[in-house]
Amino acid sequence: MPAGPPARDGEEDDERKAGLHDRVFRLLLRLYPRSFREEYGDEMTRYFLERLTRAREQRKRQAVISLWARTALDLVRTAAAERGSPSGRHEPTTGAHPMSAFLQDLRYAARRLRNTPLFTISAIAILAVGIGLNASVFSLVDTAIFRPPPFTNAEEIVHIYQDSDDGDPSSTSYPEYREMAEVTDVFAGVAATSSGSATWEGADSPRQVSIEFATASYFPVLGLRPVRGRWFDAEHDQVGAEMVAVVSHRAWRTLMGEVPDAVGRTIRLNNQPVTIIGVGPTDFNGEAGALVTDFWLSISSTPVGGPFRVANLERRQDHWYQVKARLAPGVTVERARAAMDALARGLAEAYPELNEGRGITVFAFDEVRFHPAADAGIFRANVGLFAVAALVLLLACTNLANLLLVRGISRGPEMAVREALGAGRKRVVRLFLLEALLLSAIGGGAGLAVAAWSVRFVPLLPIPTPGGGLDVSFDHRVAIFGLLLTLATGLIFGLLPALRSSRTDVAAVLRDEGVGRSAGRRASVFRAGLVAVQVAVSVVLIVGAGLLARSLANAQRVDAGVDVGRIAVVGTNLPQGGVTGPEVPSVTAALLERVEAMPGVERAAITTRLPVQPGGTTTQIVEGYEPRVGTGSVELPFAYVSRGYFETMGIRVVAGRTFALHDRPETPRVIVVNETAASLYWGGDALGGRIRSQGSQGAWVDVVGVVADVKVNDLREAPTPMIYYSADQSPVGVFSIVARTAGEPAALAGALRSVMRDVRPSLPVTRQLHLDAHVGNGLAGLRAATALMGGFSLLALMLAGLGVYAVVSFAVERRTQEMGIRVALGAPRSRIVGMIVGQSLVMVAVGLAAGLWLAVLAMRGLEGMLFGVGAVDEVTFAGAAVLLLLAAATAAFVPAQRAARANPVEVLRSH
Amino acid sequence: MQQRSLNPPVFHILLALADGSLHGLGIADRIDALTRGAVDLGPGTLYRSLKEMAEMGLIREAAPPDSDADPRRKYYAITAQGRRAVAAEAASLERLVQAARDRKLLPERA
Repeated sequence: MPAGPPARDGEEDDERKAGLHDRVFRLLLRLYPRSFREEYGDEMTRYFLERLTRAREQRKRQAVISLWARTALDLVRTAAAERGSPSGRHEPTTGAHPMSAFLQDLRYAARRLRNTPLFTISAIAILAVGIGLNASVFSLVDTAIFRPPPFTNAEEIVHIYQDSDDGDPSSTSYPEYREMAEVTDVFAGVAATSSGSATWEGADSPRQVSIEFATASYFPVLGLRPVRGRWFDAEHDQVGAEMVAVVSHRAWRTLMGEVPDAVGRTIRLNNQPVTIIGVGPTDFNGEAGALVTDFWLSISSTPVGGPFRVANLERRQDHWYQVKARLAPGVTVERARAAMDALARGLAEAYPELNEGRGITVFAFDEVRFHPAADAGIFRANVGLFAVAALVLLLACTNLANLLLVRGISRGPEMAVREALGAGRKRVVRLFLLEALLLSAIGGGAGLAVAAWSVRFVPLLPIPTPGGGLDVSFDHRVAIFGLLLTLATGLIFGLLPALRSSRTDVAAVLRDEGVGRSAGRRASVFRAGLVAVQVAVSVVLIVGAGLLARSLANAQRVDAGVDVGRIAVVGTNLPQGGVTGPEVPSVTAALLERVEAMPGVERAAITTRLPVQPGGTTTQIVEGYEPRVGTGSVELPFAYVSRGYFETMGIRVVAGRTFALHDRPETPRVIVVNETAASLYWGGDALGGRIRSQGSQGAWVDVVGVVADVKVNDLREAPTPMIYYSADQSPVGVFSIVARTAGEPAALAGALRSVMRDVRPSLPVTRQLHLDAHVGNGLAGLRAATALMGGFSLLALMLAGLGVYAVVSFAVERRTQEMGIRVALGAPRSRIVGMIVGQSLVMVAVGLAAGLWLAVLAMRGLEGMLFGVGAVDEVTFAGAAVLLLLAAATAAFVPAQRAARANPVEVLRSH
Repeated sequence: MQQRSLNPPVFHILLALADGSLHGLGIADRIDALTRGAVDLGPGTLYRSLKEMAEMGLIREAAPPDSDADPRRKYYAITAQGRRAVAAEAASLERLVQAARDRKLLPERA
C-alpha cells in the first residue's frame, strides 16, 4: 500500500517512532563540529522534529521519506561546509585554502587505497555485491509495493468490488459492471478488466502471453494514453465489432522487437486474428505489479478467450471482472459508497437468488494496491525479501568496518605522527571517512552498474509467472535509492572505525608503547561477538540452502515413470482450430498417422494430461470399496489417452491389457488404472473391477488393465492413484501429441508443428516442448528458491570468512611482539599458526553452535518445500558446520601465517 | 562584505525577520509564506546561516517576544546592519527587475 495504514496504533507507538527519528537525527548531527553541535544541536533537532510531525500529519509515507532525504542531504552538505569554514576548524591550516586541504586528503586516501590493492578490491567487491543486490531487490519491491502508478489525478480513482459468496470484497460480474457504469452522476467513468493468458503464435514458435480484457473506458479512467496508435473506442465494447488489441510497451519491446509498424499488424492469439491498434504507455505495463500484461484486448475480442468467456459477458453469476472508476468532479468517496450501496440493494431486489446480501464496496485509491485480499500478503513477502537483502548489506558493513579497523591499527603510529605534527583529530577522522566514502562510492557505483546490467536477466529467472514477463526496470528511483544506500554505507563503516582509531593516545604511541594496550579488551570481545553473529547467520542460510539443494537433487532423481528423454510433445486445441463434432476423431487420426510416418518417430499417441502435470480429478464410485470418510466416492486424477500411449511413453503394463483397436465408441467403456489405484481399491487385483462416476446411475466401467505408476501432479508426490480413459472411445478436442523418437526429441519439435499445419492449417499450437523440459518445469519453484538461498548463503559465508580474517589480523597485529618472542625462544612456526587458528576458532564455534540451534528452529518454516530430507538433517547440518569451520580456518590461517613468518629480530628491534 | 550580494537563504531569513523576532521554525514558516512554498530550508542550511549572520552582525539573539513563548527556544532579531543589507539587496534586485522590464522580459505591473 502506498500510504501507511492510518496510525491507529496509539500515541505510544508514535512516541516510540519519534524517539527513533530523534536518535537518528542526533547521530547525523555528529557530522558537525562539536562547537556548532553544542550551540545549535538542540534547536535543530526541535526544528526537524516539528517538521516531521507536520509531514506525519499528511498521513503519507512519502512525505516523511522525502523530508528525511532532503534533511540528510542538507545536513551532510552543510556539515561539510561548516567543517571547511574558518570558524569551524580548530586546527591551523598551512595557509592553504580549505578546498585544497580537502583535495589533498582525497588524493591521499586514493593513494592509500591504491597501495593496498587486495584490501581495496575485496572491499569494493563486497560493496558492489551488497549494494547491487539491494538495488535489484529494491527495484522489484518498489514496483510491487511502493512506486505510485502513473495515473493522472490518481486520487479521483476508486476501486469497486462486489462481495464474494463469503462476503469479502472480491470481483464483479460483467452485467453488474454495466450497471455501475450507468451511475453517471457519481462517476466520470467506470472501467472493467479481466486478465488471462493466451497462446500467441509468433514468427517461429507459439508462446504463452498474458492478456487483459479491458473496456474502452479503461485508459480514460486511469488517465493514460497509448504512445502510438490509439486506445479502444466505445464500439469495441460490443462482441461482433473488430477484434483489437493494444500491446503493452514492454511486450512491444521484448516480444515484438520494437517494430515501428506494430500498429496495424494482425496477430493470432489462440488462433484468432486480432489487430493491434496501439502501443501502451512507457511507464505502465499492467496493474499486477512486476508481472507484465502483454496485450490489452477489447471486449469485442473476448472470443480469443473461448466461447465461455463470451457467454460470461451476460452471466451475473460469474464474477470475472475488476472494476475501477473515476469520480465525477467534486464527488467524494463517501457519495460513491452511498451510490454503490443503493445499487447493491437494487441488485439484491432484482436478482435475490444471486445478490441477496451481496454488498458492493468502494475503496479510495490509496487503500488498495493490488486487491484488498492480497495486499497484506504481498506486502509481507516483499518486506521479508527486502529485510534479508538489507541484512546481508548490514553484514557487509560490519565487515568493512572491521577491515578498516584492522588498517587503522596498522596506521596508528602514522596517525599519531600526523597528530603530533598538528593535524587535528578532525583531519584524521576526515581521512578515514574520506577513505570509506571513496570506497563506498566506487563500490556503490559498481553495484549500481551491476544492478542496472542484471535487471535484464530478471525475466530469465526461473520464477514461475503466468505468461508475460517481469517488469523490473532500473530507473531513477532505484538509482536514488542506490546512491542513498552508498552514502549511508560509507558513513556507517567509515565513521565507526574513524572515531575509534583516532582516539589514539599520541604520546603513548610515540613512546613506542604500541597501540595494543589502549585498544581495549572490551572492543575486541565486541568484534569477536560480531563475527560470531555473522557466523550464526551464515549457518542458518547455509543449512537452508543445503536442505533445499538436497531436496532438489532428490526430486531430480525421482523417476517420473516414463522415458522422459525420448518424448517430444506438441499441444493443440481442435475446437479453436475450427474442428468440432464428428470431425474430431478423423482429424485426430490423421494427425497421428502423419506424425508416426515422420522419420525418426517410432510411435505416437495423444493424451489430455501429461505426466507431472497438476490437473483436475473426477468423482467416482468404486464397486466394493468403502472410503473411510465422506460420501462413498473417491476423487481420481484422470486422462484420456489414445491407443499406443503407454507404449509410446514407456509405461510398463502390469496386468491385463491396454486400449486396443476393438475399443470403439460403440463398445462398452473400459479403463486402465495404475498400480496404486489397483492396490488401494482392489487389493492389487483390479482386473474385472468396476467404477462409475458419481451421479450417473448404472453405467459401470470395467477395468481391463493395470499399468505402472507415473508421477501424476508432481515429482515429489506420494504414489497417487490415476485412471485412464480411452480417447478412441470418447473423442477429445484439447490434447497433446506425444511422439517417441529414435534420436534427440528437440530436433523433432519444429517438424511436428509443420505436420500439424499440413493436416489443418488453422490448428493452433498450444505448446511445443521436450518431455524432459516439461518434467523439469515442475521443479521451477524449488529451483528458484534453492538458487536464491544458495546465493544468499554463499554471500554470507564469504562475509563471515572476511569477518574472521579481519578480527584475526587485528589480533595478530597486536601480538606481533609476542610472536617475535615466541619464535625467538624457539617455538616452531607451525605451532604458532596452529595456536592462532585454534584461538580464532573459539569465536567461530560459539557462532556455529548458536547458528545450528537457530537453524533447527528456522528450518521448520522450510519443511513444506523439502523432499526426501528432514528439516533437521544431520548430514546437511554437519556439512554446513564443516564448511563454515573450513572457511573460518582458511580465513584465520592467512594472517596467522603472516605473523609466524615475522622475523623475530626485526620485530623485537622495532618495538 | 556589503559589496557582495547576499546568499538566497540569508536574504530570505532577513526578509522573514523584518517584521519582528522569530525562532527557527517561525523563520521557516514565514519564508514558506513569503515564497508560497518555493523555498524550503533544511535544518543545516537554516542554522548554519543563522550562525554566520550572527557573526556578520546581521542578526542577534533576542528575548522571546511574549511570555507565552517557549523559553527553550532561541529567538532572533534583525540588526540595523541587517536591515541595511536586506534593503541594499532588495534595491539591487529591483534594479535588475527594472532592467528585465525594460527589455520586455516581464509584464508591466499595475
